[in-house]
Amino acid sequence: MTTAVATEPHRHATATKPYKLSFGHLLRGEWIKFWSVRSTTWTLSIFLIATVGLVSLISLAILNAPSPENGGPPPGQEGTPLDPFAVAVTLAQLAVAVLGCLTITGEYTTGMIRSSLTAAPKRLPVLWSKAIVLVVSVFVVALVAIALAAALQWLFFDSQDFSIDVTDPELVRPLVGTALYLATIALLAYALGALLRHSAAAVATVLGLLLVAPIIFTAIPWKPLTVTSPFLPGLAGQQVTYTDAALEQSAGFSDIGVDLTAWQGYGVLVVWVVLILGTAAVLLKRRDA
Amino acid sequence: MIEAHDLTKRYGTKTAVDGISFTVQPGRVTGFLGPNGAGKSTTMRMVVGLDRPTRGTVTVNGRPYAEHRSPLTQVGALLEAKAVHTGRSARNHLRAIAATHGIGDKRVNEVISMTGLDTVAKRRVGGFSLGMGQRLGIAAALVGDPQTLILDEPVNGLDPEGVLWVRNLVKYLAASEGRTVFLSSHLMSEMAVTADHLIVIGRGKIIADGPVDSVISQATRATVRVRSPQATDLAARLAGPAVTVTPSEDGLMEIHGATAVEIGEIAAKAGFVLHELTPLSGSLEDAYMSLTSESVEYHSAALPGQESVPHGAHAAPPAPTTGPTTGEDAR
Repeated sequence: MTTAVATEPHRHATATKPYKLSFGHLLRGEWIKFWSVRSTTWTLSIFLIATVGLVSLISLAILNAPSPENGGPPPGQEGTPLDPFAVAVTLAQLAVAVLGCLTITGEYTTGMIRSSLTAAPKRLPVLWSKAIVLVVSVFVVALVAIALAAALQWLFFDSQDFSIDVTDPELVRPLVGTALYLATIALLAYALGALLRHSAAAVATVLGLLLVAPIIFTAIPWKPLTVTSPFLPGLAGQQVTYTDAALEQSAGFSDIGVDLTAWQGYGVLVVWVVLILGTAAVLLKRRDA
Repeated sequence: MIEAHDLTKRYGTKTAVDGISFTVQPGRVTGFLGPNGAGKSTTMRMVVGLDRPTRGTVTVNGRPYAEHRSPLTQVGALLEAKAVHTGRSARNHLRAIAATHGIGDKRVNEVISMTGLDTVAKRRVGGFSLGMGQRLGIAAALVGDPQTLILDEPVNGLDPEGVLWVRNLVKYLAASEGRTVFLSSHLMSEMAVTADHLIVIGRGKIIADGPVDSVISQATRATVRVRSPQATDLAARLAGPAVTVTPSEDGLMEIHGATAVEIGEIAAKAGFVLHELTPLSGSLEDAYMSLTSESVEYHSAALPGQESVPHGAHAAPPAPTTGPTTGEDAR
């Protein structure tokens, strides 16, 4: 770093090029930011591999389950081709949750946020444009992952009649719903990141909410916990990843008394996101950066 | 042009910036000088809206910074080195900032070569040295080709070549292109050769605001070095309420409060022999020390046998803190 200090005169370009801050330009800037850090490619690669791999492995496991006489599941509960997706998503969602947090906390821990807010001093458009880039990217990558997993399932297991008919609207809704769920979980994590402004705190909180809270709420036999458990963001949102038939079936087994439909459950998750992101927006506007 | 009026920032009970008013004019380099913790950075952060003033207003070219449709062409700011995501390459960092204003890659490449970052532009910022980070910060400040440049300690960590480059750049932008340059530094020698105008701040208040020369002359009293075999007699003759005489060694003394002309005439009338009669001008360093001696937030402990305030060869004594604008006037 000792060479090349340019002595070229500084040209005045503002007259010829009317540079302007706009939401479209901000989106472009956030798009460049999102795809130019390694955490994005890492988390999305892990997510993709985990989803596709787990769906194939779990499909294999279901097909090779022992017969009922040897301790296997009773007839009628062997599992559907959609089940591997639900299990895979429960694990793979952690990758997009981490990505959601880092998208914003990465700016706070490095000081980048001050550059971002100097470029866009109204602040809130930064929050929204970043969120849009995150949600769209995660939704598309999730759709690709699900399509890839379904294709592999069809390739390997169609001969055993264990694959998804993608022309069946009854099945398409859960599949697209899964991508939607994942994108919304990323947004939930992002909102927590914007609120807490600290990577470790945000990741710990979102994992606690998605992994630990459901276990505590369902395992402890105390009525207030059991009754509220369907409203936890992860459990509520995942309703949209199940078929209506599966939801009715599980409602039949459940004795909690609260049965959310697919879209009601997703709506509960959206309410979580709106509340947290709204609080984060108010604080972003108020706090010193 | 930057105009601050009654600008105040409190953090809890601590007042970082205390009701300051000042104007930074286009066409010249305005230096912002003050000890650590005096409120320089806080003031600059308030200009670009990163910190919300507790009271008062600050505008850039007549409007609050956030109200401009194209903020980066109004103000380019380097507020701290490495306000940059460490995992991103220098080039992508600049591309992302430029994109928010629809500024293309051509301009990005321009500022990269202007700041001498060509060879490292594709490397991740995390591995940058302080100097490279500083160059990247300056590149980011320049990317919008702004009317006003705000640079907080821009030469911090730069090699001598970089220091010279920054000095020439800001002088060129101010003098030849008529832009506004607001520059903070704790390096007083650097300020003396870079700035045209000085705003001195201490404990959140402005203690001097004026052209560099006048700040220096007002803050340091004229000193004359006199060498004479009849020094003691001459000192007695010169003595008066406005004049102080500091004998340093046998036959040598420093006189404050009288000009060389006056001393020479008095000596001639009385028939004293003079071996030396040298007017000493105060340096910016002296001016700074005397202005801020009251308002230094963090004093370094004096070593045994040393004075707590380092004096140069032509050191000025502690002078009353007067300037064209005092803290009281500023309010």
